[in-house]
Amino acid sequence: MLDYLGLEADLTQEERMIRDEARRFVEEEVKPDIGEHFENGTFPMDLVPKMGELGFYAPTIDGYGLPGVGDRAYGILMQELEAGDSGLRSMASVQGALVMYPIYAFGSEEQKERWLPDLGTGDAVGCFGLTEPEHGSNPSGMQTRAERDDDGFVLNGSKTWITNSPIADVAVVWGRDTSADDSPVRGFLVETDRDGVTTNKIDDKLSMRASVTGEIGLDDVWVPEENVLPGVEGMKGPLSCLTQARFGISWGVVGAARDAFEAALDYAKDRDQFGGPIARFQIQQDKLAEMATQITNGQLMAYRLAELKSRDELRHQHVSMAKRHNVRMAREVSRTAREILGGNGITTDYSPMRHLANMETVYTYEGTHDIHTLVIGADLTGIPAFE
Amino acid sequence: MKVLVTVKEVAEVEDDFEIADLDVDPRYLEYDLNEWDEYAVESAVQLAEAADEEVEVVSVTIGPERSEETIRMALAKGVDRAVRVWDDDIEAAEFLDVASKVRLLEAVVAEEDPDIVLSGVQAHDTGFGATGVALADAIGFEWGAVVNALDIEGVLNDGVARVHRELEGGIEELTEIDLPAVLTIQTGINEPRYASLRGIRQAQSKEIAPKTLSDLGLDFSAVESELFLTDMYEPETESDATYFEGDAGEQAAALASALREKGVGAE
Ligand SMILES: Cc1cc2nc3c(=O)[nH]c(=O)nc-3n(C[C@H](O)[C@H](O)[C@H](O)COP(=O)(O)OP(=O)(O)OC[C@H]3O[C@@H](n4cnc5c(N)ncnc54)[C@H](O)[C@@H]3O)c2cc1C
Repeated sequence: MLDYLGLEADLTQEERMIRDEARRFVEEEVKPDIGEHFENGTFPMDLVPKMGELGFYAPTIDGYGLPGVGDRAYGILMQELEAGDSGLRSMASVQGALVMYPIYAFGSEEQKERWLPDLGTGDAVGCFGLTEPEHGSNPSGMQTRAERDDDGFVLNGSKTWITNSPIADVAVVWGRDTSADDSPVRGFLVETDRDGVTTNKIDDKLSMRASVTGEIGLDDVWVPEENVLPGVEGMKGPLSCLTQARFGISWGVVGAARDAFEAALDYAKDRDQFGGPIARFQIQQDKLAEMATQITNGQLMAYRLAELKSRDELRHQHVSMAKRHNVRMAREVSRTAREILGGNGITTDYSPMRHLANMETVYTYEGTHDIHTLVIGADLTGIPAFE
Repeated sequence: MKVLVTVKEVAEVEDDFEIADLDVDPRYLEYDLNEWDEYAVESAVQLAEAADEEVEVVSVTIGPERSEETIRMALAKGVDRAVRVWDDDIEAAEFLDVASKVRLLEAVVAEEDPDIVLSGVQAHDTGFGATGVALADAIGFEWGAVVNALDIEGVLNDGVARVHRELEGGIEELTEIDLPAVLTIQTGINEPRYASLRGIRQAQSKEIAPKTLSDLGLDFSAVESELFLTDMYEPETESDATYFEGDAGEQAAALASALREKGVGAE
């Protein structure tokens, strides 16, 4: 397995064990039929409780039955899951970083007791509703409204592109509280079986096919006061969740790229043309060398990010840089890997084109590549280009 | 009740390797928990989980410090603590034969006093397939070899191991073995679990007690082997396979004439 600069030698024993078990899990439980799931546009639902049992959801949280591992261990886990498929890592990202994290960070004790144990085991599935049909890169323009009544709120609006909404028991929905001054953004825990909630599935995706995506329709949905996340107001609520998730993505895509690279390397050594393996041609070696170098670059960024995070020195702009760099890297690497596989490369029998297709989503969600460019630009120049 | 599980870190050889002296060059080796032992660990943990009373699961290994990471994986899956036997004399021993291993394990059994010992049927690398049964003989326990089903209730409530054993030709044999007993566990008896992140965390603070020969009341003579390796080599492979080049039509034509030459088929 590619680890050219031996970064994994510095892992603790605990981290190595997490890597090894997650790798074995992906090898045995995911890889055998992930290609078929991708083709059929289905998520392997039997893995939802299995991943819960192993503690893959929000593992950095201590308490509520969660294991409380370190940031680097979490990164390693995301890397191994995404080596299987981005859909799998998305499941873990959404459940952990976008649903459990805000409940843990901003929720009441009752909300934590109610949801964290069930979400942790996978007995409940959550989703994160921020994006709207008319507001993607600019979520602060959101139109979803919450109107206060006697003992709760009435929600109206629609969210789209929501990972797992059709299979979710609870949605963390971000909307503006129009009854308060300046209509601040608030987070609401909306059980999907409430009257007025619809969660239509989005079909026809050509990317991230082994992942369920849908809409959330909110038509006069009433939720009690105790379903509001009490600890946060404003865009920093959803944005802080996204920083957590993007940290995981920065690690995860290194795994996807590595998996594509390994497939290409094996293939190149195995495939004979003109009387010998194609790996003996300089053009193929150039591709392999470039891929290995780019993956190692991405790996270095991911490791540094974990270091900064555990020291509490991580800024969201750091995460923007790593997300931007690593996803582009994984997109290029998986495409180059696909080339090396020739015709076989365009089938679901091999992972590179599946990873490549997935990268189109990862490039776009959690802040598009362009938006992260602007975030870094604003940080460097002090002049935001998007306000 | 106490369950002792013998576990071994085994060497896995890469596809391409070289032999150095009497062993595979360590550069081509990777180490992992012996596959059979994974099933033995799972059986032991299932016993503990099913019991109302306290069941302690202890694993014992003979191996260098390197093996601790492998042993810790068993701790992450529910083994309570581990004993690791090793010292310079064992390291210096040219070859640990079954009798040597049994002498060491016998001393550990004397210290731990288990009610049941589970071992793998065989080790993936050395493949003697004898340690468990030889140990039973040495410590005067009953034994069951190549066990592929175990009735947990019987062990916990009646002090009897009701075991299925797989015989030649797919025949199943049901045996009742009084405890204390040694069972050698066959792959497929259960579905070994993955270590959870919580288990992996907890395993970091579980004990792996190092034991030397003298800790066990033994000396270097315990690892004097009567068995010596004399050679290790890759046999010359004699292959009669012929690969027919060309497209399907050319290959079929070549196959047809080869078959005809051998006298297969009517003219
Ligand atoms: C499979 C999938 C799963 C998803 N899961 C979730 C989820 O669980 N929860 C959730 O809330 N959302 C989710 N999303 C939504 C995702 O976050 C949005 O698609 C993303 O934020 C981009 O929004 P948009 O699609 O509306 O594109 P737009 O914002 O319309 O962008 C279109 C193009 O314009 C560019 N652009 C926009 N603004 C600027 C600017 N100021 N300067 C330069 N270029 C600009 C963008 O980079 C992009 O190339 C998911 C998306 C996908 C595809």
